[in-house]
Amino acid sequence: MKTLLIGEYREGKLLESTCELLGFANQLGAETAMLLVGSENQLPVYSGTLYLADVAACGEYNPGLHKKLILEAVQKESPDYIVFLHSSYGWDLAPRVAASLRIAQVSEIVAIVDGGFEVGCCNGKMRRTVKPATAQAVLTIQAGAFPVLQPGGSPEIRKLSATDGGALEFIGYEAAEKKDVDLAKAEVIVSAGRGVGKKDNIPVIAALAKALGGEMGASRPVVDAEWVSHSHQVGTTGQTVSPKLYVACGISGAIQHLAGMKKSDFIIAINKDKDAPIGEIADVLVVADVMQFVPALTARVAR
Amino acid sequence: MFLDLTEEQKLIQDTARDFARVELEPAAAALDQGGDRSPLLANLKKLAELGFMGLNVKGEYGGSETGVVSFSLAVTEIARACASTAVTVSVNNMVAEVIQAVGSEEQRNAYIPKICSGEFSAGGFALTETGAGSDPAGMCTQAVDDGDSWVLNGAKIFITSAPYAGVFVVWAVTDKEAPKGKGISCFLVEAGTKGLIIGKEEKKMGQHASATNEVIFDDCRIPKSALMGKRNDGFRIAAGELAGGRIGIGSLGLGVGLAAMDYATRYVTERSQFGQKLSNFQAIQWMIADAYTELEAARLLLMSAACRKEFGRSFAKEASMAKMFATEAANKACYSALQMLGGYGYTQDFPVERYARDARITSIYEGTNEIQRLIISREILKNIS
Amino acid sequence: MKLLVCIKQVPDLESRFKPDAAGVWYNETDLAFRMNEYDEYAVEQAVQLREKLGEGTELTVLSIGPDRVVEALKKALAMGCDNAAHIQDPAASGKDPWQIASIIAAYAKDKGFDVIFTGMQSQDRGSAQVGVTIAEQLGLACTTTIVSFDYDNGTITAKRELEGGIKGVVKLKTPALVTCQLGLNVPRYPTLPNIMKAKKKEITAIPVVELLREEALATTASFHPPAKKGGGIVLEGDVSDLVDKVIAILKDKTAVLR
Repeated sequence: MKTLLIGEYREGKLLESTCELLGFANQLGAETAMLLVGSENQLPVYSGTLYLADVAACGEYNPGLHKKLILEAVQKESPDYIVFLHSSYGWDLAPRVAASLRIAQVSEIVAIVDGGFEVGCCNGKMRRTVKPATAQAVLTIQAGAFPVLQPGGSPEIRKLSATDGGALEFIGYEAAEKKDVDLAKAEVIVSAGRGVGKKDNIPVIAALAKALGGEMGASRPVVDAEWVSHSHQVGTTGQTVSPKLYVACGISGAIQHLAGMKKSDFIIAINKDKDAPIGEIADVLVVADVMQFVPALTARVAR
Repeated sequence: MFLDLTEEQKLIQDTARDFARVELEPAAAALDQGGDRSPLLANLKKLAELGFMGLNVKGEYGGSETGVVSFSLAVTEIARACASTAVTVSVNNMVAEVIQAVGSEEQRNAYIPKICSGEFSAGGFALTETGAGSDPAGMCTQAVDDGDSWVLNGAKIFITSAPYAGVFVVWAVTDKEAPKGKGISCFLVEAGTKGLIIGKEEKKMGQHASATNEVIFDDCRIPKSALMGKRNDGFRIAAGELAGGRIGIGSLGLGVGLAAMDYATRYVTERSQFGQKLSNFQAIQWMIADAYTELEAARLLLMSAACRKEFGRSFAKEASMAKMFATEAANKACYSALQMLGGYGYTQDFPVERYARDARITSIYEGTNEIQRLIISREILKNIS
Repeated sequence: MKLLVCIKQVPDLESRFKPDAAGVWYNETDLAFRMNEYDEYAVEQAVQLREKLGEGTELTVLSIGPDRVVEALKKALAMGCDNAAHIQDPAASGKDPWQIASIIAAYAKDKGFDVIFTGMQSQDRGSAQVGVTIAEQLGLACTTTIVSFDYDNGTITAKRELEGGIKGVVKLKTPALVTCQLGLNVPRYPTLPNIMKAKKKEITAIPVVELLREEALATTASFHPPAKKGGGIVLEGDVSDLVDKVIAILKDKTAVLR
C-alpha cells in the first residue's frame, strides 16, 4: 500500500501538523511519499520521497495550481491514498483532487478500522465507517486524531513546478483579532475552583492556561468571591463550554458547574478528594493538592 | 382530520423558537431580577419588526395576517423563554385586534400600525378595577359627555405594560341608569393625554419584567372621536375580545409548563442519587408522563380553539376550556418540575423557580379559572334548558 | 445576474441519533429538521448580494431531499430568495457527496449562475466536499470557509478562516462558488409577513432521476455511536510521577501537547 501525503506550509513555516500525516501512514502500514509546496530551508524530518514545489513560485494558497502539482505526483507515484489534513488547506484542496481523478474522498478520518475509515458525523456525536468504492481515494484526517511522527532522516527531493492562470488570487494574511476572554471559542480551558484556596493563587491557574495555549475559566464560588471576573465563569450561571481539553483545578463538581463543561472532549480534574463528583465525568482524576501539582505541570508543559 | 401545521405555521413556530432561544432566554433571568427594563423593550421592538405584534391583523394596518393558530404557536414559543415578553406580546395582539374589530377606519389607521411596527412598545387594555375584577360590569370609571369631548374619571388596576403603552383601550360607564353591563362604552386614550396618570407599579410574585400598574383618570379629557364602537356597547366588545386573549394566555401557560418540564426532564437524566440516574425512578417517570400528557392535551385544546377562531366559528367556550386547562397543566408541570430538581429547584441557580412563579398568574389573569368554568358551564347549560 | 444558493435540511443536532434499519445512517423518526447552520450563512450572504444588486438579479435556492425540505426552501424564500428548486429525492441521505454535487452541477450546468453559495459543510454528514466538488464539476473558481464576502463588478473579495483565527484574503473572478463559515454574517429571521408572501413564490419540483448521472464513489458501511469512554482514570501518588503521567496522557489523548 502506498500513500501520498500532502504537507502544509503557512506564513513561511512548515506546519508541525504535517507530522500527523506520517503518524497516520504509519498506522496504515503504508509506504509514503510526500508532497509539499514549501521551501528547501524547512523540510520534514523523514527519509522518503518528497515532491517539492517552490512556495515562492506556487504560493501558499493557490488551490488550482497546487492541484496540478498533486496530480503530477499522483501520476508518478500511483498512490492508493492521497492524504491531507482536514484543515483549511486540506478540505479546500482535497475535493479538487478527488474530482479531477473521479475517485472517492473520505473526510475527517478519526480512526482506521476494519473495513474502512471511521469518521465523525452529527457534530461529533456519532461515527460512520466509510469505505471508498474506487481503487484510489483521497483522505483527510482529523487534526489531533493521529500521533505526530518524526521518523528522522532527510527526504529525497524531487522538484515539481507548474503554472496556472487561475481565476483566484491570494492577497495575503490578516492577523487574528485580539479579544477578551472568549471561553466559547477556547480549545483549552483551565478552570479554578474553590480548592485553589485564595485569590493570590489564581495566577498559578492562569499560568497553566497560558502554557497550554488556552483560557482560564472558573467555578461560581471563585467568581462570587471576586477572585476572577464573571466573564470567566463556567456553568449554568456562566458560560457553557465544550473545549478540546478542560482542566478543572480544585473544582469539586457541583451540578451547576458540570452542566457547563461536561461536553468537553477531554476532562482532567485535579482534586484532593478522590470521591469528588467531578471524578464521575473526568477522563482523568489527579488526586493531588492543586497548589503543588499545577505549578509542577505548568513547568513541564512550558518546557 | 389532519392534525399537523402548515409549512407557514411551522416556519413561524421555528422563527419564534429561534428568536426566543437566541434573544429572549439569555435576558430572561436578569429581567426577572428587576431593574433595567430596556432589554425587554428592545426585544419587543425586534419582535414587532418581525411581525409578532399583529399576527391576526390585516396587512393594510401593518399586521402579518398569519392567523390565530400562528398566534398561539408564537406566544407559546416566546413564553418558553420569557413569560413577561410573552404576556406583552399577547396583550399587544389583543389590543390591535380589538381596534381592528370595532374601531373606525380612522382609529385603525391611527393606532394599529404603531402597535404592529413597534413604534408603540405596547398597547394597554384597561378594564379591571379594584371593585370590578372577575365582574367587570361592576366598574365605576365614568365617561361624561361634555359637548365636543368625553371626560374620564376613575381608576383601573393591574394594567399590563402601562408605563410604556402608547395607547390604551379603556372601558368606562357612559350610562349609569342602564341595567348592569348595558351602559359601558369603550374608548381609545393616548399615552400622554392630560389627566391620564400611570400609577404605582405592582410588586408581583412573577413575570417581573412586564409592568403591571394602576392607571388613573383625573378629569381626563379625550375627543369625541375617541369613542370606539357604539356607545353603551362596550361590555359586549370586552367579552368578545377577552375570549381571544384567553387563547394567548393559555398558550403562554403551555410555553412556561413546557419550559419547566423540558428543563427538569433533562436534569433527571443527568442527576444521580442512590447510585442511579433520577430518571430511573418510577416516581420521577410518572411525573414526566403526567405532565407531558396534560401539556399535550392543553396544546390540542388550544389548537382547537385557535382553529375555530381562525375559521370564524364560535370559540368562546373552547377558548375558556383551553385557557383553564392549559394554565392548570402549566402550574402542575411547574410543581412537578421543581420537585424533580429537589432543593436546587427552589434556588435561583436554576430557571424552574422562575417558571413556577411566572406560571402562577396564568390561572388568574385574563379571567380567573373560576370564571372560565362559569363560562364553560353556561355555554353547555344554555343548550339544554 | 443569476445567483444560486444550495441548502440542506438537517436534524436538530441536540437530538439523540439512532441508526436506521440498514445501520448506515440515522433513523429520521422523531427528529425535528431545520436548515443546516452553515447554509443559513450562505442564504444570508446570497440575499445580501441580491439586495445590493437590486433589480435584474435572480436568486434561486436549491435543496435535494424528500418533501420535508420544502420547509427549509420556504424559509430561504422568506429570507429573500426569489424562487426555489426542489430536487425531489426521498433517498438523498444515501447518496455520497460526489453524487449530491453531480446532481447540483447537472441542475446548474446550463443556467449561467454567476455566483453559487453553499455552506462549508453539513452539520450531520460533515464531509465538507459538496461545494468544492460542484465548482470542480462546473469549472468555477472556488474558495472555502469564508468569513467575509464582498462583490464588485465581477470580482469577489473573500476572507477565509484559517486555523488560529488568522484569515486569508482571496480575490476570485466570477463565475465562482464560495462555501460559507460561521462568522460570515448574522442570518436574519424571516419576518412573518415575508413568510406569508413566500407562499406565492415559485418552487420548481424536479425528480432526481432527471439529474442523477453518477454512481457513488464511497459507501457507508455503518453508522454508530463513538466507542464509550471507559470510566475515568484515577491517578494518585507522588507529584512528579503524576506530572509525568498527565503529560503522557495529554500527548496521547489530546492535540494540545505534541
